[in-house]
Amino acid sequence: MPAVKTSAPKRTIGQLLRRLLLLDLFKGLMVTFKYNARALYEPRDGGNPNQAIYTEQYPLEPARVSERFRGAPRLNLDPENGTTLCIACDLCALACPVDCIEVGSLRREVREGEKVNKKKVLTTFIFDTSRCMFCNLCSEACPTDCLELTQSFELAVYHRSGFRWDREMLEKGINYVRYAK
Amino acid sequence: MQAILTTLLFVAPDWVVSLTRERRPNAFWAEYVVWPLIQIVVVLFIVLTLVAYLVYLERKVSAFMQARLGPMRVGPWGLLQPLADGIKLLIKEDIIPIKADRAVFIVAPIISVVAALVVLAVIPWGATWATIANVNIGLLFILAVSSVGVLGLVLAGWGSNSKYSLLGALRSSAQMVSYEIGMGLSIIGALMFARTLSMSGIIDAQRLDGMWYLMFQPLGFLVYAISALGETNRAPFDLPEAESELVAGYHTEYSGFRWALFFMAEYSAMIVTSAVAVTVFLGGWMLPGVTGTSLFGLGPISNPTLHTFASIIVFAGKIMLLIYAYMWFRWTWPRYRYDQLMELGWKWMIPAGLANIVLTGIWYVLALPKSQGGVFGLMQEERGRLIPNRWAGIVYFIVTAFVVTIPIVWGLLVTINRRSRDFNLHDQRQLQMQLRRERLEKMLQEQPRPAETGVQ
Repeated sequence: MPAVKTSAPKRTIGQLLRRLLLLDLFKGLMVTFKYNARALYEPRDGGNPNQAIYTEQYPLEPARVSERFRGAPRLNLDPENGTTLCIACDLCALACPVDCIEVGSLRREVREGEKVNKKKVLTTFIFDTSRCMFCNLCSEACPTDCLELTQSFELAVYHRSGFRWDREMLEKGINYVRYAK
Repeated sequence: MQAILTTLLFVAPDWVVSLTRERRPNAFWAEYVVWPLIQIVVVLFIVLTLVAYLVYLERKVSAFMQARLGPMRVGPWGLLQPLADGIKLLIKEDIIPIKADRAVFIVAPIISVVAALVVLAVIPWGATWATIANVNIGLLFILAVSSVGVLGLVLAGWGSNSKYSLLGALRSSAQMVSYEIGMGLSIIGALMFARTLSMSGIIDAQRLDGMWYLMFQPLGFLVYAISALGETNRAPFDLPEAESELVAGYHTEYSGFRWALFFMAEYSAMIVTSAVAVTVFLGGWMLPGVTGTSLFGLGPISNPTLHTFASIIVFAGKIMLLIYAYMWFRWTWPRYRYDQLMELGWKWMIPAGLANIVLTGIWYVLALPKSQGGVFGLMQEERGRLIPNRWAGIVYFIVTAFVVTIPIVWGLLVTINRRSRDFNLHDQRQLQMQLRRERLEKMLQEQPRPAETGVQ
């Protein structure tokens, strides 16, 4: 090869030493070695993005979802007496942009202490999860904090009819599939 | 030396000799048939299992380095994964492409794996009885036979009748042939000190010299380690099977157990090159304070059988350290370009190996005893071979190796590689343009413009 002078800038002594001692290669080696060593002793740490092993063994361990995640709907019960919190006001159905909620109610005389009031009472509640887009507007419209979108997300079913959740399913929650090893 | 070798040659344990009902000095069947067969079965079983688990280890190490978990589903922590892999490979359909050269296609993986497994015979797995064949040209045998493995790769690439395979084989033949030279040259420096090619003899020489040859031959070890990476086609020199360019290189068309044979060959080649590095540079099965501190290698462990087992564990531990380094490098460094690979092989490794031999020879001759023409007289004769004096000779060799040899060789390599330091086409193009501009300006100054003369 003919003598070619390159116009590359002159190296400083520091750069020369770096190259001479192959420092960059060893730096890379240290990075991988640190990861390897940390993987051996560090405990798994939830959703921490800086942990040594980031893999989430999903069916074996519960999947991590964010705090604001909106998943399967639920009708909450009154924790004191176990009756439903729903007052059948139909606000959720009105708020729903995709009309996936049907609230069925009856006017009925209800005894409260000594008085007898005529009141709307919830009979059926149908929530179509195949049409739901999980916008949370129903939950925000609910005046009694009854309808809520929970963080569970395993909504797959074997048949289309399974997407129509009735009141019982909404109150009890679905039977999640647990994958055992 | 002769006495040591004869004691090392007859190694069959007593129970084997009593099994064949022979007398000790002439126990032919026990020494040459029964005991070697037992050893062969044991070594093959252990090495093949180890190969399977090296694949598991490689997957785990790579996973940990990439913040993953690796195989976890088969058995606890995926420990039975190699078994599952093996069964799967065994029961897969045996595919031979129609256009492939059938005979060559079938023979190639066999050549590859046989070349890799035969050399296990001469590796000193431990003290006394733990070597299958104590051949007096052990190291030469390993270098010779393991280079036959290239033939397997070349035949596989040719016989597959596929462009990826052919390209992979082309690369591997060029690469392995060029790195073999550097590998051979790097060992010679250590052999000057050992004065023998017997693997057990080299370990024994390191015991007599009182120092591992890593300290006398740091450059030799470096060149050997890099060449071994190139020789076994491991990253950063894994061009023959560069998956991003060549699918899988020479074994693209292979599947099932034939493919597994190539895999086995690669991993046993890793074990063999590590074993050679351990034997030649890292003191074999010796570990100060544990094994191999007196003539028959009995240190603090006085029971010979127990000592041999300890030595086997030490040897295996050193091999595993080197193999971890193999994996560490593979999952850290990117692959070389082909021209860089060849440049490293021919313009760095081979000159470095040659210079190392010359300089080691000079230091060795200077240190000879004064009766044999040396200048410093830092060596003495002991049991028919020259050993460096304790500690002046040892310090002399270490200092010359680290402080003198390495800078000299580095300067030499820099001088050789000065011109082609960078494959910098941009700079060369800029320079050409500048030269052309200067030439044009010179021409214009020398003769007036034709247009001006035309007007007058």
